[in-house]
Amino acid sequence: MNRRFLLIAACTALLLTSGCSERTVITSHEEQIEISLSWWGNDQRNEYTIEAVKLFEKHHPNIKVKCNYSEWSGYQARSDVQMVSGTEADVMQINYAWIEQYSPDGTGFYDIQQLSEHVDLSNFTREELDYGMQNDSLNAIPIALNTQSVYINKTIYDSYGLEVPKTWEDYFAAAEVMRGKVYPLAMTSKSSWFFITAYAEQVSGKQFMTMEGNLNFTAEELRIMLEFYCRLVNEKVMPQVEYFERLAPEDGIYAGIVAWLSDGSSYCDRAVNNGYEYIVTDYPVDSSSQVGDGWYAKPATMYAISRNTDHPEEAAMLLNYLLNSSEMANLQRIEKGIPLSEAAQNYLNEHELLDGMQYVAFEKMNEYRDNLSVISPYFENEALIAAFRDASNAVLYGKADAQTQAEILYETFDDILRDAKA
Amino acid sequence: MKIKTNNDSNQKLVQLRQSMILAFIALIGFVIVFFSVLVMNKTDDVLKNKVSNMASALTVQMKMNINSYLSKMETTCALVFVAEEVYQYDATNADLDAYEALSTEKIISDKLFDLCIMENYVDFGIVYRNNHVVGKVSNGTIELFGEHLFTDLESMINRSRTHDGWATGYNGDFKRIYYVKRIHENAVLVTSFYTTELEEVFEHPGGMGDMTIRLLEKNDIVIYSSKDGETGTKLDEDIASRISAQTSATSMDNHYMINVNSCGDDWRVICSIPTQIILKEKKEIQLFIAIVGLLTALSAVIISVWISNRISTPVHDMVNVLDEKAHIDQLTGVLNKRSFEESADKAFHLDNSPERYALILIDVDNFKGVNDTLGHAYGDKVLAGVGNILQTVFRADDFLGRLGGDEFCVLLYLPKSATEQEITEYTSEKCRQLCQSFRNNYTGDDGKYKISASVGVALFPHHGQTFTELYQCADKALYQSKRKGKDTFTIFTEEYK
Repeated sequence: MNRRFLLIAACTALLLTSGCSERTVITSHEEQIEISLSWWGNDQRNEYTIEAVKLFEKHHPNIKVKCNYSEWSGYQARSDVQMVSGTEADVMQINYAWIEQYSPDGTGFYDIQQLSEHVDLSNFTREELDYGMQNDSLNAIPIALNTQSVYINKTIYDSYGLEVPKTWEDYFAAAEVMRGKVYPLAMTSKSSWFFITAYAEQVSGKQFMTMEGNLNFTAEELRIMLEFYCRLVNEKVMPQVEYFERLAPEDGIYAGIVAWLSDGSSYCDRAVNNGYEYIVTDYPVDSSSQVGDGWYAKPATMYAISRNTDHPEEAAMLLNYLLNSSEMANLQRIEKGIPLSEAAQNYLNEHELLDGMQYVAFEKMNEYRDNLSVISPYFENEALIAAFRDASNAVLYGKADAQTQAEILYETFDDILRDAKA
Repeated sequence: MKIKTNNDSNQKLVQLRQSMILAFIALIGFVIVFFSVLVMNKTDDVLKNKVSNMASALTVQMKMNINSYLSKMETTCALVFVAEEVYQYDATNADLDAYEALSTEKIISDKLFDLCIMENYVDFGIVYRNNHVVGKVSNGTIELFGEHLFTDLESMINRSRTHDGWATGYNGDFKRIYYVKRIHENAVLVTSFYTTELEEVFEHPGGMGDMTIRLLEKNDIVIYSSKDGETGTKLDEDIASRISAQTSATSMDNHYMINVNSCGDDWRVICSIPTQIILKEKKEIQLFIAIVGLLTALSAVIISVWISNRISTPVHDMVNVLDEKAHIDQLTGVLNKRSFEESADKAFHLDNSPERYALILIDVDNFKGVNDTLGHAYGDKVLAGVGNILQTVFRADDFLGRLGGDEFCVLLYLPKSATEQEITEYTSEKCRQLCQSFRNNYTGDDGKYKISASVGVALFPHHGQTFTELYQCADKALYQSKRKGKDTFTIFTEEYK
């Protein structure tokens, strides 16, 4: 009995003192992986991308996505800082030109082919993926194809008894009729760069630069560009790019817009809602040119993965979600143009979401697709465009003559391109 | 042989034991309930205080986060003044050279971009009184304010010392939060960010996942809420009524625990959690305490029953021994006189029992002679032998007793269905067996002395209703047996009265 009593007493003591013993409690928590996503765009793009990210996070509770976004202006400057400082986002929306700029040997971005387990590349043709190939490394995947398109407010042209312009001179003729009350065209600085270059290429019969970024134009062709811009402004074909008002089309102040295919809806929809009829017309030509001369196409935007990412698989999962998921297709629709991803296209087709100005512009681009040149990655260099704007303003305001500015501009372009390729 | 008095004692002992166990259980139960309630109340207080402190710390952290975030933006905006062009240039001045104006705007624009490029600002630009903008002013903002861009932005400046202010909800739009700072009479700097950016600012530990964090304007409009669908709405009346205009307080009742702290521009950060959520944890603790209490009580009961058994078994045995000693004649092993009388009377009065009995009175013949001749030791041996004879002749449910000296008595149970004749026959047969047994055992086996028994029988209920009545009848019958020459039995009849 004594033994039993001792045993019971020991158990009781153990039970009573178990709560008083000093012990370390370790509670493990599920570790959340944080990756970042950067993009540029307008409010609409910001809102739907943030919503898509939230949905992605719901599907993958262990992944937290930090968003970095901005409007286009400033985005490249931010990306420059981030790429140089190694603080770029894990998944980035990039411009086609950046592949050459940041990854001349193909090692500037992660090779997405290594992540094909997480990214369904079968949704893209070889030709489409080639846009993102650099030295046999898949640096980026294009979201959609893009080109500069000409959107015409047919209602305004009709009201002046004018046909939809086909040649450059048609626009000057229209400006004469509209007499400064309405501009036959309007465009941003970037679009004017494409528009004016196309004119100079048609007039000179030369391409502005080679695919490798070597300047074909001489000071003479640059003079043509400067003078053409000044003529467009002075004869009130278009307002100065600095005074371009993005929301003006809805008030009927602009009778036409030159803009990216992907921006068709954002420029035209409100005007259409105000009762204007918008159409997409051919790129203008001169008498000796064919439609499509000087007209370039390129991937609208692309997604790349940072070569420095600590979480390539999670980044690839996000990339795949943004490109191929039906949820993102539904949110994004054709805001960035017609998606190249077959899965996204199928979703939009099935739900009859392939419509609107972008789709009209897309069909117009396809009409002349064989005539379109693939743009050199150096063509959109922001420094070239800024230098041209400075020079054209100097000529426009009579601070310098076009010939002198063209010669200075030639040297400047040469320096910029040399730096870009260095 | 029945010993009913012994069963009664056992029953009393069992009852006593059960009462003691029940009392012990009640005592243990009371103590456990008392201490459990005490512990639970204490736990309640500790839990409430802990949660309240944690929530309070969280609210302060959230306040610091938002203040830091807003302050960072204000500092960035103040840096705009580093460039002279920013505060000297006036786009409304019609006398400016257009080219110079463009060049200056480019410088200003570059400066603004340099300052804002690393942040997710929706707007970071200067708006002039003629609605001309320099820098980054989004289409969303331009569209939202329209022709009132400058005037309505300017009206958002509400701090006279720093000439700036925060605002949101313009025309019901809570997607962006604006900060406006005056550059000069005809220009304001506007910057904004998406309200969704506050998700990072108000990111809080997962353990407080049920807590709702809100940022309120001074008129109690929700600028941001971690709960979907609340942004832009008036603060829930349930919450609002509990905090009224408090700027630093904690409120806790049966419905909500709420922490409030002022921040930024007369805004308030409010963290609330339904008390039910906290009580959920409390209930878990209560359940744990209850289970522990129950297990302790169960253990105590098991231990008490075990200890009680350990203690009561020897007591029970001892009581049985004492009980037996009190009721049993130690020499013969049959009931003593008192116990026999009690048992017989009980049997006669048991629920007016219709049972029948025969009271058989036995007297050992010539026993005095045995004692005188062979000694008392032999006499005791003979009496002990009588006890054995009785237990051999009669059944286990018959009562056997020694009334004193050499006088024995048996209460013979008779089947109630038996007829008078069957009763007489059965009783006579038993008496014959008894007399025969005496003869067999003591008729000159040792050649010393012949012992026999004289027997008198009375029947219940015919010859009496009580032991005394029946005894008197049986005694009279016994007398007849003695008269007949002993070693025989006589059943009482009325003629012996």
